[in-house]
Amino acid sequence: MKRRSFTLMAAASVLGVGVLPRISLAADTIPVGSIEVLTGPVSPYGIAIRDGETLALEEINAAGGVLGGKKIALTVEDSAANKDQAINAARKLIGRDKVVAIIGPTLSAEYFALAPMTNQRKVPVIGTSITSIGATDIGPFCFRTSLPEADVIPAALRKAMARGAKTIALLYANDDLFSKSSYDQMKVAAETAGLKIIDIETFATKDTDFSAQLTKVKGLKPDAIGIAALVEPTAGVLLQARQLGFGAETQFLGGNGANSPRLGEIAGAAADGIMVGSPWFIAKDTPQNKAFIAAFNRKYGKNPDQFAAQAYDTMHLLARAIDKAGAADPLKIRDALMQVKQDGVMGPLSFNAKRDPASAEGVLVLEMHAGKFSIAP
Amino acid sequence: MLAQQLVNGVLLGATYALFALGFTLMFGVLKVINLTYGFYFTAGAFAALFFTRYVVASVWLALPVAAIAAGIIAMACDGLLLTRLRRRGAPELSSLMVTVGAVLALNSAAAALFSPDIRRLPVGLVSVESFNFWGVRVTTAQFLVLGASIVLVGALIWLLRGTRVGVAIRAVAENPEAAGLMGINTGRTAALVSFVSGALAGAGGMLIGLNFNAIHPYMGEEMMLRGFVVVIVGGLGDIRGALIAGLMLGVVEVLTAGYIDSGMKEAVSFAILVLVLWTRPSGLFGAPKLRRA
Amino acid sequence: MDLSWLDDFLWTYQNVIHSVGINGLLALSMYVVLAVGQLSLGQAAFMGLGAYSAALMTLKLGWPFWMVLPLSCVVPILFALAIGLPTLRLSGVYLAIATVGLGEVLKALYVNIDYVGGALGLTGIPEATETWMIYGLLALAVLAFWLVARSGIGRAMEAIREDETAARVMGVSCFRYQLGALVVSAMLAGIAGALEAHSTSLISPGEFGFEPEVSILSFALLGGIGTPIGPVVGAFILTLLPELLRGMADLRLVFNGVIIVVAVLFMPEGLVALRLRRRSA
Repeated sequence: MKRRSFTLMAAASVLGVGVLPRISLAADTIPVGSIEVLTGPVSPYGIAIRDGETLALEEINAAGGVLGGKKIALTVEDSAANKDQAINAARKLIGRDKVVAIIGPTLSAEYFALAPMTNQRKVPVIGTSITSIGATDIGPFCFRTSLPEADVIPAALRKAMARGAKTIALLYANDDLFSKSSYDQMKVAAETAGLKIIDIETFATKDTDFSAQLTKVKGLKPDAIGIAALVEPTAGVLLQARQLGFGAETQFLGGNGANSPRLGEIAGAAADGIMVGSPWFIAKDTPQNKAFIAAFNRKYGKNPDQFAAQAYDTMHLLARAIDKAGAADPLKIRDALMQVKQDGVMGPLSFNAKRDPASAEGVLVLEMHAGKFSIAP
Repeated sequence: MLAQQLVNGVLLGATYALFALGFTLMFGVLKVINLTYGFYFTAGAFAALFFTRYVVASVWLALPVAAIAAGIIAMACDGLLLTRLRRRGAPELSSLMVTVGAVLALNSAAAALFSPDIRRLPVGLVSVESFNFWGVRVTTAQFLVLGASIVLVGALIWLLRGTRVGVAIRAVAENPEAAGLMGINTGRTAALVSFVSGALAGAGGMLIGLNFNAIHPYMGEEMMLRGFVVVIVGGLGDIRGALIAGLMLGVVEVLTAGYIDSGMKEAVSFAILVLVLWTRPSGLFGAPKLRRA
Repeated sequence: MDLSWLDDFLWTYQNVIHSVGINGLLALSMYVVLAVGQLSLGQAAFMGLGAYSAALMTLKLGWPFWMVLPLSCVVPILFALAIGLPTLRLSGVYLAIATVGLGEVLKALYVNIDYVGGALGLTGIPEATETWMIYGLLALAVLAFWLVARSGIGRAMEAIREDETAARVMGVSCFRYQLGALVVSAMLAGIAGALEAHSTSLISPGEFGFEPEVSILSFALLGGIGTPIGPVVGAFILTLLPELLRGMADLRLVFNGVIIVVAVLFMPEGLVALRLRRRSA
């Protein structure tokens, strides 16, 4: 043991900080952690989430905090979309910062990597952008506030069927988890709705040439085409589809990834007519949403996206749960999370028994015209 | 549908051939696998992007700008990274390792500087219309890629076969020491070849970025795998081989995606690479010669 | 003395401590190929093959970890032979080219095969890797390479690295040494992959591509390949450094790349410029 602890001390001194026993945090703050992708290609999503939760945090603390006047102290760690860095961050937040709950991480793969460990350590983790099937099955401390796409996609499919679609071809990026789970849900939703799937094609997220797949699809003449991919490849598919002669007679449906203003910016007129299901829309006419958009613009000078909205609601819900738990204790907060309800910018939010969002009431179908989404007629 | 797929394949193959052209030239003359080649491709596309966005939105001016910018970068990279090793007579793996490190640093720096978002050249730079030939559709951009590839290949062959400079380049490719003794300035020839290869890469980057509506810091890296397959299958340093192999790879990929499974594209190109390495390592069109009998 | 802070410290940095050791093993797997004058850019791919095959043996077959760990090197070795046999008979660039694509292609394959988890990869891998296993294997590998380097085999390897043609004239079978080195290297990388898979609970297709690959090369070149200690020191430094310099994630890869350039151009002996002392022949 002696020799072992010597090598550990040596390792500790290499790591420098954090060796000394930390003075416990001032008793009037409640430490909460967040792990998001703040650098690298995926960082726009993580930064939106950080902005949303930070805005909610300021509102909560300005309104007197939680547990009768204690402020929430939020530590946001960068995972850089790297599994190891996400695990390191979670261990640091729990081991050193003694957080009572963690919001995040941004990506499903990171969630699957760190949740078994945090669950074992009995600290609640609440994903705000996790859509993969089975994520919250890891254990009783694993939550998410993002609607699994199972709740979002059927709305868009029903709209397409109402407009006469009977057959559909599905195209998806099979190397990206977000796109893959979107596709899985599209497939199930189409089968349940009675829409006939006549072809399934795959590509990689960074592919630029989709002509082979689209030519094959064109030969099969589907009424609708579902694209499950992030925004850039979705735009690429649409641009090439128009070049190959797909016209207005084919309805295009997008997954959650296509639900971004960037789609219109990249694809221009080629994106006209594409429909997406969305848990949130900027022009949603509720008092909560209007107040949120105004506050977000004041603080950041830009409009929020759905990721910021989801994170904003999640932070408010967590504060409610801490209050209800009556103590800064992860176990009690977990139990409180199972009970709290709130009416936020996304609509009603609470957890079902599987720790997924209980309600999909807020889902809307959006359609793109001249580069902008609006609520589909 | 088969006709359209074949056309798709040839057009995709033309982009591969265009990409591999400078890469194989660089190896043929300078005898180094230069992984930073992918970066020149990206640099050309970005030069065209900024030029068309902030100076003049013209394809005909942007193309030489992209080529010259990438050519200068290629010359600078060669001067900074490889000239020293060449003079020292270092083993070929040292040069390869230097370019491996350099390309990681350059790509990551470009991503940090320009953000990894996908951008596109201004809408309307070329007509987005597509022409319909008996049901087979080809876009203006695709015609442009095909036409430019043919012109660039022609220009390259003229440079190598029809000019004094070409004689010097071919002499250095054959035997650098002997060329040096015959009074050819090998240093200047190396710089020139770097410039020409870089310019080909830059022009390719712009045209392919235009064709696929996608310009981003990793676009060169994405092409490198295909680039390797094309130059090995065509024979390292063999320009004609690279052209044929590029077209072949494009057609094979499109047919795989169209008739077998779109997920198998990469696996097929790599299977071809390994197969060629096992059976005809000096390329499909070269004489099979081994270093060790 | 109250050592509870030590428990906390151990728990908090467990994953960092594991990564450092695993990267040390990977650096050694790069070292052994460089030591015979070849360059393999497939070390991350070999690691991925080890990680995937080990995780499958654990998850799908339910085999115990003491069996899985040694068997995890089988698949990487087979791939090393398939690539090494044709390319090592050619000049050095061929091995590098054939291996550089391997990672990308394997990624495409993992993604397309549902049995290995598709885009998500394999999840819920039980934590079976202990810190002592990683560092025990690392110590063993360093010791073994040290002994080999001091022996006649080591002399032959150095001769091949310095001047292949001369070595062949002296009657050294370069091909056999180089293939042997590649196989040993794939084996080490495979085992490192198995340790990694059973240290974090998830492995996914994107983890074994070009960037981790080049990072492994930077470990070896920073440390220098004069001795087996050098690469391990390089791995330690380059794994701990980003932990200390948080928030510079964007520049980490730039830094790794620059290290390779500087190492090759200006300090070919590496940072730990040790030369092996050998009993005079």
